[in-house]
Amino acid sequence: MLHSPIEADAVIIGAGPVGLFQVFELGLLEIKAHVIDSLPEAGGQCIELYPDKPIYDIPAVPVCTGRELTQNLLKQIEPFGAQFHLGQEVRTLEQQADGRLLIGTSQNQFFLSKTVFIAAGVGAFQPRKLSLEGLEALEDKHIFYHVKHPEQFSGKKIVICGGGDSALDWALFLVEKVASVTLIHRRDDFKAAPKSIAKMRELCASKKMQLLIGQITSYEVQDDRLKEIVVTDIDGNTQLLPVDDLLIFFGLSPKLGPIAEWGLNIDRKQLTVDTEKFQTSIPGVYAVGDINIYPGKKKLILSGFHEAALAAFAAAAYLNPEKQIQLQYTTTSPKLHKALGVSSPTFE
Amino acid sequence: MTYVVTESCIRCKYTDCVDVCPVDCFREGPNFLVIDPDECIDCAVCVPECPVNAIYAEDDVPGDQQSFIKLNAELSPDWTSITKSKPALPDADEWKDVKNKLDQLVK
Repeated sequence: MLHSPIEADAVIIGAGPVGLFQVFELGLLEIKAHVIDSLPEAGGQCIELYPDKPIYDIPAVPVCTGRELTQNLLKQIEPFGAQFHLGQEVRTLEQQADGRLLIGTSQNQFFLSKTVFIAAGVGAFQPRKLSLEGLEALEDKHIFYHVKHPEQFSGKKIVICGGGDSALDWALFLVEKVASVTLIHRRDDFKAAPKSIAKMRELCASKKMQLLIGQITSYEVQDDRLKEIVVTDIDGNTQLLPVDDLLIFFGLSPKLGPIAEWGLNIDRKQLTVDTEKFQTSIPGVYAVGDINIYPGKKKLILSGFHEAALAAFAAAAYLNPEKQIQLQYTTTSPKLHKALGVSSPTFE
Repeated sequence: MTYVVTESCIRCKYTDCVDVCPVDCFREGPNFLVIDPDECIDCAVCVPECPVNAIYAEDDVPGDQQSFIKLNAELSPDWTSITKSKPALPDADEWKDVKNKLDQLVK
């Protein structure tokens, strides 16, 4: 389904810490932003890779976890009412004749924005694929990397691959609803909630589910349908398994993906920017955080915060070339207090 | 970009690197480790962990080690994932300073 484009002053690609802080810096300059991210929740790498790991180098925050940093940033940007478009990946970015930028996502959502901030880190998080030749043709037909309509599996022979929570949750959910569930993991060691692991073991012991340790090494197709798979164990023994649908949960891995095809100047898979505006080779398109490169670049969250502030000022000047942009301080500026939705302190 | 394991690792395989990798992109062979270039996110955390300085950014791989870029890419699909460190090979200390040992690589 095609939606009419959302018109905007600013679109931020990436809801990691730097993308979130970009909302803040734009907000202080009274620029409203839309934020797009491929993950279903905000936080980027901080949520996907390091939710519980401590971060020690955020200025004035002696220690916080990736999740805490994300939660604090979300709280900090709350006054600015940014609209989030999560669970969709930005596919296209094209400059229009009037200078505006047309952005298209994997869900056919389009944005027509005057400025774009690429805060995409190392790229969009996508499911790791099972790497066997020709499998792509069966994707979303008989091979699934995420489940949208679980009812479609009823009565079918289901094979689920993976050793994490997603694999186990779906195995446990589907076991009563389908003809059979076989779980395949490359070793007998699961990284999932202990309760789910215990339940899975129990179901296997009572023969309601089957667990195979090994990897899928080949497959057979008949009439465009998956017929059977070959599972090879660590000693090289193979086993044939009839299957209707295959569900694969190998976790997520970030991919630069389509960003490389937007005609922006790229060096070592990073977008080249200047250090005054953090602007890319397309006017009005800025790149902040781990995705950009410039002489002396250090991939630190705090560098990204600085870049976001300067990019916001550059964008404000770009959006309103006639207007003088004043630097104001949140401690003293009634204008910023208004933007933040707080009352100005009175001094006696 | 990706990071690349080079010659120093051959017959040593200290495996300190695998504990710190946030995306589990190391693959293990009989006497060498490689980085899966499709999985590596360029975070550089593994570089200082290697006691024999075997890991380089793709663009910084020394001239005489360039073939390892291809080797990492070729071997990673067939080798198994390693996510926890384990003892180095028994004679690792004897091999750690040996140069030109590509012929010792077991695939």
